[in-house]
Amino acid sequence: MAMSRQVLARREVWAIIGAGVLIPIVFSIPATEVSISKGVQAVYDKVESIPPGGSLLLSFDFDPASKPELEPMGRALARHAFKRGVRVVAMGLWITGTSMAEAIVRESASEFGKVPTRDYTFLGWKPGGYLVIVEMGQDLRKTFPADFNRNPTVGMPVLDGLDSLRDFDYVVSIAAGDPGVEKWVIFGRQKHGFALGGGCTGVIQPGLYPYLQTGQLDGLIPKIRGAAEYELLLRRGHGIPEGLASAGMLSMSFAQLALVGLIVLGNVLHWRSGKGTGR
Amino acid sequence: MFLQRQVPLAICFVVGVVFVFQDFVPHHDSEQLLTVFTDWGIIITGFASLLGVGSLIQVHWLHIKRQNAGWGYSVVTYVAMVGTLAAGIASGGKAAPDAQTGVMPAFGWVYNYTMVPLQGTMFAILAFFVASVAFRSFRARSVDSVLLLVAAVILLVGNVPLGEAAWRWVMPEGVPGIADVGDWVMNTLNLAVRRAILIGVALGIVATSLKFILGIERGYLGGGD
Repeated sequence: MAMSRQVLARREVWAIIGAGVLIPIVFSIPATEVSISKGVQAVYDKVESIPPGGSLLLSFDFDPASKPELEPMGRALARHAFKRGVRVVAMGLWITGTSMAEAIVRESASEFGKVPTRDYTFLGWKPGGYLVIVEMGQDLRKTFPADFNRNPTVGMPVLDGLDSLRDFDYVVSIAAGDPGVEKWVIFGRQKHGFALGGGCTGVIQPGLYPYLQTGQLDGLIPKIRGAAEYELLLRRGHGIPEGLASAGMLSMSFAQLALVGLIVLGNVLHWRSGKGTGR
Repeated sequence: MFLQRQVPLAICFVVGVVFVFQDFVPHHDSEQLLTVFTDWGIIITGFASLLGVGSLIQVHWLHIKRQNAGWGYSVVTYVAMVGTLAAGIASGGKAAPDAQTGVMPAFGWVYNYTMVPLQGTMFAILAFFVASVAFRSFRARSVDSVLLLVAAVILLVGNVPLGEAAWRWVMPEGVPGIADVGDWVMNTLNLAVRRAILIGVALGIVATSLKFILGIERGYLGGGD
């Protein structure tokens, strides 16, 4: 550890990572295309299969701390649905993310000239965590008598024929933790049997693989890379320009490869100092 | 004593047993019962938020009163809480810009220009600390740590397009891509371990729930029993 410190101090390590992140953004260097994973392709295909006029429920289960990682996939999913003429019903299980989620949906909708309460609505947040999912599975309008902008949900055109969770063509939870994708599987999908996809941060991604393999989740968009894959699919399929995730992929590349380089360098120094060989 | 002990234990037993079976009974009355209890749960959660605010006020008031180390931060907490509350009430709880005028309410300003960047910054600086710690402490000291190191490098390189391109450039034709190798690590090794953890946790929840239902675990009644 001491030899590592002699070669590179903490501030130099920070400078390397900072430069790796900032240079591609400042100079707008384009990243190479990412390969598409099965989980992302599955979510894309499912949204693609919803007929125009069908319905997508987007649950934004994260707060501003995870905004850089999860906002791009929220925008990509909303854009995909709006482009295809799918009705979007959005909500959130994290109170601190409510206004952020509302802005994501509102701004994505305005890009496609969509009208609130007719083409989309943001239901907002309600206390209870997973209990909200349970209640939505029984009566959507009772759970949310009004949307975020206080429009009554009874008689709202966008909710025509949507009385409970099982009426949605597809439900996607974009989550940074609990309550999130896991709760939607246990208290939503398992009980009501609707199609469920997920989006998540890298931190909770490993914990969701069992649900993906069993088919309880039919697709998963993991971390910013998954969002970049989705943006690529949107460009190929619908000509929608790539967004924030793709723009950040080269920064991710430099930062993560720098991290690998630092780990290798740290180990080489450790072995050269004789500690690794027991000298 | 009867109201404090036997009644709560009886309620816990009856409700616990009923809801074990409720999940398997798709009858209308059964669903109604779930609806009623879910409503109660949501109301209780709402009140728990008030409890949290009360606790926050009390704890920080004591810090300020006793002038503990860092009591100034408690003042900042008070100012932030009261200021946000005032902005929220003044804006009628709305944070989104007005549909007609496009004017952002005060609550929206507080949210978008303090909370969002502050939380984002806190999370973003983790990358710098992780890099620094990985450089100084992530060492191949044993077989276990070598396995961890190899898995970490595969996932880090396979996660980014530049890593994928570099792998393709270095490796001969026919070798699986680094992203595929990363997928295998996640879908096979990680999955097996995660499933074991999930099953273990689920069994633990069942055991703990049974202890509550049968009155073996009585900590929630208070009184140190």
